[in-house]
Amino acid sequence: MKDLQYVILKKENLDGFISRMSRLRKVSAPVAKGNGEYAFEEVDSSDRIELKYKPTIMPPKKYFMPQEETLLEFSTAKGLATKPVVEYEKMTLFGVHTCDLAGIQCLNAVFSVRPRDYNYLTRKRQIDIIGLECGDYCDEHASCSMVSAHMPSGGYDLFFTDLGDYFIVHMNTQAGEEMIEATKCFESAEETHFDDLQSFRKKKRDTFKSEVQIEPRFIPGLFDACFESSIWKELDAKCLACGNCTNVCPTCYCFDIIDEVGLDLKNGKRYRKWDSCQLEPFAKVAGGENFRKERAARQRHRYYRKFRYPVAKYSKFFCTGCGRCSRSCMAGIHLKDTLNALIKESDSKIWKKWL
Amino acid sequence: MKRPKVGFFDFACCEGCQLQVANFGEELLDILDVIDVVEFREVMSEKWEGDFDVAIVEGSITDKHAVERIKRIRERSKVLIAYGSCATIGGVNGMKNAFDLTDIRKYVYGSDYKFFKTQMTKALHQVVKVDYFVNGCPIYPPELVKVLKAALQGIPYYVPDYAVCVDCRLNENVCMYEKGVTCFGPVTRAGCNSWCVNNGNICYGCRGIVSNPNEKGMKEVLTKHNIPIEFILNKVNMYNKCRELVEGGEDDE
Repeated sequence: MKDLQYVILKKENLDGFISRMSRLRKVSAPVAKGNGEYAFEEVDSSDRIELKYKPTIMPPKKYFMPQEETLLEFSTAKGLATKPVVEYEKMTLFGVHTCDLAGIQCLNAVFSVRPRDYNYLTRKRQIDIIGLECGDYCDEHASCSMVSAHMPSGGYDLFFTDLGDYFIVHMNTQAGEEMIEATKCFESAEETHFDDLQSFRKKKRDTFKSEVQIEPRFIPGLFDACFESSIWKELDAKCLACGNCTNVCPTCYCFDIIDEVGLDLKNGKRYRKWDSCQLEPFAKVAGGENFRKERAARQRHRYYRKFRYPVAKYSKFFCTGCGRCSRSCMAGIHLKDTLNALIKESDSKIWKKWL
Repeated sequence: MKRPKVGFFDFACCEGCQLQVANFGEELLDILDVIDVVEFREVMSEKWEGDFDVAIVEGSITDKHAVERIKRIRERSKVLIAYGSCATIGGVNGMKNAFDLTDIRKYVYGSDYKFFKTQMTKALHQVVKVDYFVNGCPIYPPELVKVLKAALQGIPYYVPDYAVCVDCRLNENVCMYEKGVTCFGPVTRAGCNSWCVNNGNICYGCRGIVSNPNEKGMKEVLTKHNIPIEFILNKVNMYNKCRELVEGGEDDE
């Protein structure tokens, strides 16, 4: 059997591939930041790239929706003159895990809803994505299997699976084929390579089991039953409202919009910057009213924005199981623990009766 | 448009924030295009006898003379901007408030201590009305520019009321607690772009504590890391002792 959608890249040719790609455009890949932390940074060879890494501090969303992004330039010198701005850069992301691919797909869904977000959509078209498969859990915080984000399901141009001394590479788009064409580092995939891939996936299926004791289809019902749960009060006591959980989340996309003039007070720009529902001023409105003054209400909101509201709006969870929120929480608020506590508390309630 | 008249003043401080302004570099030229600096002791000899459109004041209030002087500056100024930790939250001068004022005077001035009257250290807003705050030790220059623009437009500037962790995460710094080091980012007001942590240092809390810190939660985090509360309080008080002051307290000595 020969599948033209697959090629292989010998490990010794990875450096050639990355170097050649980086001469064509900016390439970003996971690199070590010390203390077991990683980040996507620009690379020009494979030297610094970590092929086995736990999710980076910031997800790749930082490239898709920059933390600060100009939307408009304006001048009030002579009436009001405005000029829309779209900032983008052609680049390739290498080594994106399936959880982060799922995250990007969530953002794509959000920003494609009308009125479409052309700043996001234009930039997205300029970013090529090369996925990288995990064969094992990164750490105890991951819950990718619960939301079925541990297996590749699109959202990439090329997808690498590490099979020892070579990668088997799935070509998913024309952009992916063009990368292979341009760098000339790849070889065709043979029968034995597919056998290797099959046994890799078999082993993987044995390793990854749903991390939380609930079937995904019951999760929305669980949340319907738990709005007044005492678990949220417990989170209130713990949460420091530092906003880490949302800032590192691959699917959180809230932003604030700010108009700022230059020193001449005439010319300025409108920009957006990331905001977080966990921060005290987020739900504060004119007059000083704060709709989510309690940390409990803010934490609860975050969980509902992952497991309930997007199910109604986009028919999918906005949790990719990457585990970043749990990993980055100083106060030890862990997603799996919260879900398990909710499940335990609502044990007697409807959703589980007919299990 | 006539350039607004701006005066820079200082009280008990190290004058480091004024130095930050003097060190602005090229951007200072742009700033001087839009404001008319009429008094700024650190960089010029001229004095101004009239009123100020904007007074930018560094330092905390530590004695009777300072109280009189800041009140006079306030009367002469349309807008008053407090800048630097000393002016906005009392800063390191506030450490004095942890001691008996007589003891502390004896410690500093020896047997002649009686000639040196003093008061509990206060931030500017604990004495006069302050319109804008530029927190930090020293100030973060881009924030001063932001505040200056807000003042010139007559619109408010809100000092971020969330933790330094927000900026720090966006800068992808490895968390200090991961490195086994105590850091005040989780309870300190953001706005400095996590300047210190970006450069390998911890956050010392120089921008003041967020308005609604989760004290219980923070204590739990510290306990988890085996950090004694007293140790932390001492460190927090390095910049933030003045937050405990009750308004109107009679404390002349």
